[in-house]
Amino acid sequence: MFIDFMLETFAVNRHEDAIIWKGRGYSYQWLLDRIRHWQAEIRAQGIAPGTVTTLEADFSPNAIALFLALVQDACIVVPLTSSVEAEKRQRRQIAQTEVSFVIDPDDRVQPRPTGQTASHDLYRELRRRGHPGLVIFTSGSTGNSKAVVHDLVPILQRFAKPARPFRGITFMFYDHIAGVNTLFRLLASGGCMVTVQERTPDTVLSAVEEHRVGLLPVTPTFVNLLLISEAYKRHDLSSLEILSYGSEPMPQSTLRRIHELLPNTRLVQLYGLSEVGILRSKPKSSDSLWIKVGGEGLATRVVDGMLQVKVSTTMLGYLNATAPFTEDGWYKTGDAVEVDGDYIRVLGRKSELINVGGEKVYPAEVESVVQELDNVRDVTIHGEKNPITGQIVCAKVTLIEDEDQQAFARRLKRFCGERLEPYKVPVKVRLVAGQLHSERFKKRK
Amino acid sequence: MNDNEKLMRAIFDAVDDINERLPDARKLDHSRDTVLFGESGNLDSLGLVHLIVAVEQRIEDTLGVAISLADEKAMSQRTSPFRTIGTLADYAIRLVEERSRG
Repeated sequence: MFIDFMLETFAVNRHEDAIIWKGRGYSYQWLLDRIRHWQAEIRAQGIAPGTVTTLEADFSPNAIALFLALVQDACIVVPLTSSVEAEKRQRRQIAQTEVSFVIDPDDRVQPRPTGQTASHDLYRELRRRGHPGLVIFTSGSTGNSKAVVHDLVPILQRFAKPARPFRGITFMFYDHIAGVNTLFRLLASGGCMVTVQERTPDTVLSAVEEHRVGLLPVTPTFVNLLLISEAYKRHDLSSLEILSYGSEPMPQSTLRRIHELLPNTRLVQLYGLSEVGILRSKPKSSDSLWIKVGGEGLATRVVDGMLQVKVSTTMLGYLNATAPFTEDGWYKTGDAVEVDGDYIRVLGRKSELINVGGEKVYPAEVESVVQELDNVRDVTIHGEKNPITGQIVCAKVTLIEDEDQQAFARRLKRFCGERLEPYKVPVKVRLVAGQLHSERFKKRK
Repeated sequence: MNDNEKLMRAIFDAVDDINERLPDARKLDHSRDTVLFGESGNLDSLGLVHLIVAVEQRIEDTLGVAISLADEKAMSQRTSPFRTIGTLADYAIRLVEERSRG
């Protein structure tokens, strides 16, 4: 009953492609049949509503059908993708998985009972409500992943109204709140999920060209890679109506360049957190980082420069940590923001803030400047302890072509010194090889 | 060049790095007596931090020894190692010797 509104849309679009996977189309009729198949299977296996089930699969047609079947049957779904292979065991334990579905690379499925019983209070609450749940893990700044429990009903409600169908790339998987958002957004409107096997700029952009994709949701780091690789020169992107970005601060320099390159594509910042879902927001313009957050059932306020929100899609809580709610029920996002009338600009996580002798430095601002320097492929800024100023600003840089370390450090400092206040200029500059971004295409700190 | 000369060279190279971004009136001379920080010093705290890190990196590049000039130990010296180029050099020489002796 929870996804009935989606199933109706599926029936109307039965001859259209719902999913493109490994170059092949899977129709809405196929999806409907598979959801029914999985519902029958779930019942045959005696999997009751409220059962905590891990879904161990990357985005595949069967994984999507099974995910929707589990939601329809009020199960609590814990998606785990291959990107967290090493942590799967630990995550199954934290989530108290009762049944685990493993889908292999050829899309074959095996259910396995684990013998565990899930009795967490948050699960009890979901069962009391009779609602399907979703558990996703956040990496967190301290390195320990926290398990976020959502009631899926308010999240689904946001997609109940008819919307324009888009063909969209599923850049994030469903183990990430943005991936869940994309899945519901595309399917609930009768659009098409174009899955990619690799998230390199050329693979993603060639899928955009081949499948005439209109919606591309990515991260700022990916946009940087796209610019550096010049992949945009090799593919026809005329179908691209919206490029949405989120999950870390966008450097102004990157936004400006992508806007110049794709003047006809709307650039939309999505602000969201695993804990509160993706919030409705409107950018001031395509080349602006200022957004107006608000809409039905969503309230925001800024306390001491930090954003707090109250929204129906807020998590019930963490399985393994205390949730940062205020006494009157506002969720403390931990994001520092600037305010200008109705608009806000997200500066970054408070925990990433670098304090240089009492002056605050947001890594994103410095990264944005360094990114504009010649021969820079990618950069991350972090703070290191220093007995004189408390912390100092440090840069890790990957270069496009080899360059002498000292000469480069000199060039970088001169460049930053002309554009930033002195305390924001990186003191230590290290050249590193390899990637500076994580599996989720966010910067590693 | 012996190690002490190499070390002085590394410090003056770091001074050049810093001078590049200082206004003419505050540029540092290549002299042991040049006051770095404090009364009649040419650097502010940030400038000093930049110089210290630059000296550490230059020493590591030329002598292959990684030393940490700015730490609790340095801050608790009776005479500040960061007062003049000379005191900085003496302190750096001491640390390099300690490191080489293991």
